[in-house]
Amino acid sequence: MKFDFNTAALLAILFWATGSLLTLIALKVPALKLPARLLTIAGTVVVFCFITSYWILLDRPPLRTLGETRLWYAALIPLVGFLVEYRWKIGWLKFALMAFAGFFLVINMLHPEVFDKTLMPALQSPWFIPHVVVYLVGYVLLFASSVMAWYNVSLQLWHNKNDRAESVSHYLALLGFVLLSFGLIFGALWAKEAWGHYWTWDPKETWAFLTWLAYLGYLHAWRYKIDRAKLQWYLALSFVVLLVCWFGVNYLPSAANSVHTYSQS
Amino acid sequence: MVNLPRRLFQPPWEFRESSLFTAVAVIAGFIMQYAASGRGVPQTHLPYNALFLALFAVTVISAGVAFRDRSFAKWLGGIPLGLCLIFAIALLSLIGGVVPQTAVEAGSLPAMLGLNQIFSSWPFALTILLFLGNLGLSLSWRLVPFKLQNLQFILFHAGFWIALSCGIFGAPDLQRLVMKVDEGRESNLGYSMESEAPLQLPFSVFLHHFSLEEYPPQLFLFDPQSGQPLEELSKATTLVKKGVKASWKGVDVEVLDFIPYALEGKNGIPEAADRTAGIAFAKVRITSKAAPVEGWISTGSPMLKPYALPCGKLILLMTQGSPKAFLSEVTVHNQEGLSTKATLEVNHPITFAGWKLYQMGYDKNAGRWSQYSIIEVIHDPWLPAVYLGFFMIMAGNLLFFWNGIKQKEVKS
Repeated sequence: MKFDFNTAALLAILFWATGSLLTLIALKVPALKLPARLLTIAGTVVVFCFITSYWILLDRPPLRTLGETRLWYAALIPLVGFLVEYRWKIGWLKFALMAFAGFFLVINMLHPEVFDKTLMPALQSPWFIPHVVVYLVGYVLLFASSVMAWYNVSLQLWHNKNDRAESVSHYLALLGFVLLSFGLIFGALWAKEAWGHYWTWDPKETWAFLTWLAYLGYLHAWRYKIDRAKLQWYLALSFVVLLVCWFGVNYLPSAANSVHTYSQS
Repeated sequence: MVNLPRRLFQPPWEFRESSLFTAVAVIAGFIMQYAASGRGVPQTHLPYNALFLALFAVTVISAGVAFRDRSFAKWLGGIPLGLCLIFAIALLSLIGGVVPQTAVEAGSLPAMLGLNQIFSSWPFALTILLFLGNLGLSLSWRLVPFKLQNLQFILFHAGFWIALSCGIFGAPDLQRLVMKVDEGRESNLGYSMESEAPLQLPFSVFLHHFSLEEYPPQLFLFDPQSGQPLEELSKATTLVKKGVKASWKGVDVEVLDFIPYALEGKNGIPEAADRTAGIAFAKVRITSKAAPVEGWISTGSPMLKPYALPCGKLILLMTQGSPKAFLSEVTVHNQEGLSTKATLEVNHPITFAGWKLYQMGYDKNAGRWSQYSIIEVIHDPWLPAVYLGFFMIMAGNLLFFWNGIKQKEVKS
């Protein structure tokens, strides 16, 4: 079967876009609510289907290259938006997250990667998938938390405030932190089996630890009842550390010997 | 709540005092590092590091319980100081995450301040020690008296305390050595980064056989002028098997036949051979603007030269596939008569008398014909304690996650 990434990506973006448009029209015409929801979900389903077929075609989990992880983000990020709408009745976040997901797919369309079936022996481990997936979901939650925090920050700049939106960014950060902790420890347990030691201050490890500390600091500041509105700034900016950890590490002078640089081929 | 502005050092102490205290500790650490001419914290081995750590833990916990009502103790074990110390650890880790942690010229400023070995430097050690004190105090208040509702707090914080302290205090006891064992031979020598001379290990390793499995070979259309391979139209790297097709701009290649292990026979036609001697051969047809070309290409080996096919100004090559798995069949035994036969493979270390043995490498130039195997051996007596900490953190986190979901709304 000849699969085609561009078709899948365009289809997903089309579903998300028309779904979003219909959601807005549905404010006036309630009958359109259900088709609108189904369309947005269909966009995500398309990306998941593509990941599945890609996995089968590659004969290995598509989690090795930066572009492959972007695919997963594109699939998972809108899900957080749907979850937030379902749980906290905040509808706008999903639009922003679908837009970001579309953006990730566009990056992948503009920079097609060489498709490579090989997987080096160290990555052939039962820890590979849990380690990466837990991190992916954690990053996605923290990303959504940061988007929410930027929204709160901008509300503040207009001398406005939304308590519910502040609690959403907090809970997303809390869940994200839990997953970061698991990712960090899964990585350590895997490293012991594959590379001999659970912690070597590899640059990626150092940055993952930094990210973890940033959110650990946030949770303690929150606990200490520091002005919650100010903490929105903290959350909004914490994601910068995470971004460095995610793909900035590759460009740092310390990364020359890292086992974590995503393979570029 | 309306307060008059609190003056510095007027109780209750909060962030200003905490940040000042943390800054003084970090600066003191850098001064100590400089005074010691860049030599980091002296390495303390078992049993002294364990004794010190136990003593430290007991002191912190009992001091916490004894002085729990003193405002100074409350500050020392409180969140403001904890946050400042977390920030300091993050800042020092940031140095470690940006400055390459490799040897630099002795006597240079980064070396004197320990910036290139930040994680064994005085400022880092001092900050961690203070942080463990802060964490330990807050823990003591939740431990005594014990309440079930504090379980999540205790698991997470005690787990972090144990993992962090044992990981750092136990680091000097970690032994990581590399062995090179030839096929059909035995060795008990381990080499470390620190010294040239090998170390005698308490066991020896006999290598029966080293083997390496590869992915199928890959096709490349190489441009000798640029020295670069051209990119395939499909953006993929084609793995060679019979019937596979690959296309470049203006050039199509079809693999008509593929023999994974073969040797050149009469008239240049390869004949299947056994795995130890044979190399991969493929019969390909190249279609381009010029007349179609058919012929055999091969990957080559340390003993045999590869065959390629010209295609105008370009060359069609087949390169050996990347390693898929490599393993060593070994027998490990020691003086006490303990003996194990096992297969070492990446991601599948074996344990022998307190040591872990890892498949690390082989002769990269020889690939699958490597005559030796490189094995890493590691002894880490502190590992069980660190793992205990990890599992406590995970258990605490599960409870945290659960409570986080259960809670309905944030009371603001």
